[in-house]
Formats: sequence, C-alpha cells, structure tokens
Amino acid sequence: MISFRYQDKGTAIHKLNPFCKLAWICGVLVLALLFDNPLYLLALFVSTLPLVWAARVGKEWASIMKLSLYLCLLVIVINALVSNQGSHVLYQFPFHIPIWGTPKITLEAILCGIGNAVRLTAIISAFAILTLTLHPDNLMLAMIKMKLPYKSVLVTSLATRFVPTLIDDIGTITDVQQSRGLELNKGGLRQKIRGRMTIIIPLLSNSLDRTFQVAEAMESRAFGNGAKRTFYNRIGMSAVDIAILAFLFLLLAMGISMSLLGQGEYSYYPTLGGMNIGLLEGLMLSILALLLFMMLPLAYLKRRIDLD
Amino acid sequence: MRKSYICLGLILAICIAVFVLPAFPSCPLNALMNWGLVAGVLATLTIVAFYFEFEMVALSSKEIALVSMLGTISAVLRIPFTAMPGVQPCTFLVICSGYVFGPVAGFMVGAMTALVSNFFLGHGPWTPYQMFAWGLAGVTAAYIGRFNLGRIWLVIFGIAWGYLYGVIMNAWFWATFVYPLTLRTFVVTETNSLWFDTFHAIGNAIFLGLFGVKTIAILDRFRKRFNWGLASEPTGTPLPV
Repeated sequence: MISFRYQDKGTAIHKLNPFCKLAWICGVLVLALLFDNPLYLLALFVSTLPLVWAARVGKEWASIMKLSLYLCLLVIVINALVSNQGSHVLYQFPFHIPIWGTPKITLEAILCGIGNAVRLTAIISAFAILTLTLHPDNLMLAMIKMKLPYKSVLVTSLATRFVPTLIDDIGTITDVQQSRGLELNKGGLRQKIRGRMTIIIPLLSNSLDRTFQVAEAMESRAFGNGAKRTFYNRIGMSAVDIAILAFLFLLLAMGISMSLLGQGEYSYYPTLGGMNIGLLEGLMLSILALLLFMMLPLAYLKRRIDLD
Repeated sequence: MRKSYICLGLILAICIAVFVLPAFPSCPLNALMNWGLVAGVLATLTIVAFYFEFEMVALSSKEIALVSMLGTISAVLRIPFTAMPGVQPCTFLVICSGYVFGPVAGFMVGAMTALVSNFFLGHGPWTPYQMFAWGLAGVTAAYIGRFNLGRIWLVIFGIAWGYLYGVIMNAWFWATFVYPLTLRTFVVTETNSLWFDTFHAIGNAIFLGLFGVKTIAILDRFRKRFNWGLASEPTGTPLPV
C-alpha cells in the first residue's frame, strides 16, 4: 500500500509550531493563486526546496512529486488543445469543427500550460511538506485553538486514530473469508465487487459495534460535562514562534499589496509579454523572496533555543 | 445567532461580489478576484458552515462516535480500492450514511472520508473540494431518504453522483489551472476524466443496486439501537416494599 504518513524525524521543521506551518501553507497557497508571472511561481517552488532538505523527507517528497507529474502533463496538454489564441502557430489541425473553429496548437498556449504546471508543482510541494511533517493530532489541536467547533474536530481526530485499527480488521476479515474459499480478484467487475462486499459488510457491523464502546469510553470520562476544556498536550507559543507568524503575515500582506498594485501579472496572449521588472517591483520582489526564505533560519533558531 | 449563518452570509457576499465587481474595472479589489482563489474560499466556507451545524446537532457522545466510525470505514475503503481506477465504495457508504442519518451527519461522513484518507494518500489543494463533493453526496442522499424511494432510484442516484463528483473535481482543476476560462475550455476539461467517472458511476450503481438496501437496513438497525428511550413516564402506584 502506498502511504505517505507522518514520521517523527525530529528535525527543526518537524518541531516547528503547527500554527506556523498552517500560516505558511496559507501564504504559499494564496501567493501561488494570486500571481501569474512564471518567474514568481518558480521562486515560490524553489523556496519550498530548502524545507524538504531540512526536514529530511526527500524520498517521500519525490514520490509525491512523481504523482504530480501526471497532473502537470494534463495541465499542459489541456491548455495547448483548448486555446485558440496566440500568434505563433506551431501546428494547425487539418479539419474544421463547426462553432469551434479550426483547432491549432500555439507556442503561447504551451508556455501558458507550463506556467500553470509550475503553479501546481509549487502548491503540491508545499502540501507534501505539510503532510510529511505535521502530526494529525497536532493539526487537530491547532484547529481547536483556532476556535473551530470542538466536536467536529474531535470526530476527525477519532477517525484518524481508528484507521490503523480498521486496516488490521480488514486484514483479519480477508483472511477469514479467503480460508472459506473466497476468491477476491476473480471474474468481471460485478464479481469483484461482490467479493469486496463480503469484506465490507462484516467490517461495517463489527465497527458499528465498536461505536458503542467508544461512546461508553467517552461517557465514562464525563464527555460534555464541565464548561472549560483542559488539554493533555499543549502548543507553546515562544517568542520565535510569534516572530515566524509575524514574518508570514508580512509575507501575505506583501503579496496581496503587490497583487493590488498590479505586479505579478503576466499575459501569454496574443504574444508573450516581456518581463520588464521595474525598480519598485524588483525591490518588492526581493523582499518577498527574502521573507519566503526566512522560514528555515527561524526554524533552526527555534530549535537552537529549545535545545538550550 | 448561529455561526453557520455567518458563513452562509459570507458565501452570499462573495457570490454577489463576483458578479458586481467586474462592472467597476477601476476597483483595485478586482486583482483579488482570482477564480481559483474564490472557488477555494467558497468550498472551505461551506465545510466550516457544516462543521458549526454539526456542533449544534450532535449532542451526545454516541453521535460523535458514530459519525467518526462511519467516516473511518469509508476512508479505509477508499485505500485498498485505489488499484481499480474510479471504483470507490466510499461514495456508496457516504450515500447510505446520509440516507439513514440525515443531512448533517451525511455531510460529516463525506467530509471525513476525504480528510482522513488523505492523511494516508497525500493531502493537496484537492482536499477541500473532495470534502465538499462527498459531503454534498451525503446531504443530497438524506433528502432522497425522506421520500423512501426504491432501489432503482438509489441506482440512478449513484450514477448521478459518480458523474457529479467528477464535474466538481474538474471544475476546480479548470478554475485554477486552465486559461482562458471559457465555455469551450470547460467542456474539454470536463471530458478528460469521463472514463474514470464512468467507472465511478458503474461502481456506485453496482454497489447500490446489489447491496444498497442491505447496508441501509444494517445502518437503520443501528440508528434504532442508538435512539432508545422511555416512551412515557412510568405511571401507577409504586410496589409496596
């Protein structure tokens, strides 16, 4: 089974405050969606690479990125096929579709697809780092502290905790059914689905019985009583964490104001736009890049302080 | 005031802004009217609204345990089936849960499916949209359940959700990564996953047609076991001790 789950490797990135990681992913996501200029998007992608290296998740990260290659290819092919705009025609199809017009492939459309593929890569890379370095429990704790409804978060947390148990159950049920002569991968689609159902139905009734146990366990711990909740784990906020958050908010504010000023725009059609970056824009871009790369040194600083 | 109504108000405000803002090209806020961003914010607000609604509906530990367990089963069923492209028993289970336990529980089970399984299959920008799509499958199933329709309607419903799920996921892809956004590009983007969606729809139809009624009966039995109570206060004179 392919699985990209969290492993505690104890690096500076793993130890980082979950709020900081969530603020960072929001920042990267919003910036990636706001900017169109491929140069900006490339910078965004490059800024995630040092974090992969620092978190020592290179292998898992690479396997996630391999899956994203398929999506990137899809983005490029669709953009090349659907866009009739652009002045440099590379290939013109020899047939004509009514209403649609004559389909053609232009250089601009392909480059536009590549630009969007870079955007996709940057977003997926950032999410891969989040999945690989943030423990689900810490994510839930951060969600509760952000005043998201407690019961809904508790449902998610319980569900995540029960996944390994149910995977074990599936293994047991499959063994039992196979020892009774069930052949899982035989026959057509209908036959296969019938085979799966002999696993799903026992799993369902077995797990629903377990629901009572969970509810009893919660009741016996006085769930729902008491006005103020207490927590077993706590998320400490040190001065460095607040500094990281401040940097990230600055990053977001900077990105949005640049977008409002009309920077980071780029037009692929009808011909490729030039990359004439003015003095002000260049200055703001370098500050943005600096803010993006600040995450790593601050994470190391926090680890250093924690160790002392 | 219910917090979910605040989310609803925000959703309405964004929808109105999307139509009104282009009429004022000089307004700087137009730079923020990025379709990918708007779609993401709308999907997230819908999920948060249902989360708040669940907070009001789920009163006891039993509801919480039940929804989390159904979400886990559904999420786990998504993992071993990745070998068969498109066929996902989780859609079937989400529909059955919504059918029996009502719209809010149905949405929560659908949303849990995507959120929890992606901890193991990989989170990405697609997570909120999957939560949204499966959640809506659960909500709509609850309304089907109120009419007490037969098996054939369940099958049609399953086929419809096989394709609707594809439409929602492709719409996300289209709004974020395809340029320009025209009807034509939309049609081409929608057709690219037609093959997978057809498999998804066929899988749903077989699951719901062969096992839908049975699964609904199992879930219904549990719902009855959960909602027991005294019909009325015991009356009559106490027994002499």
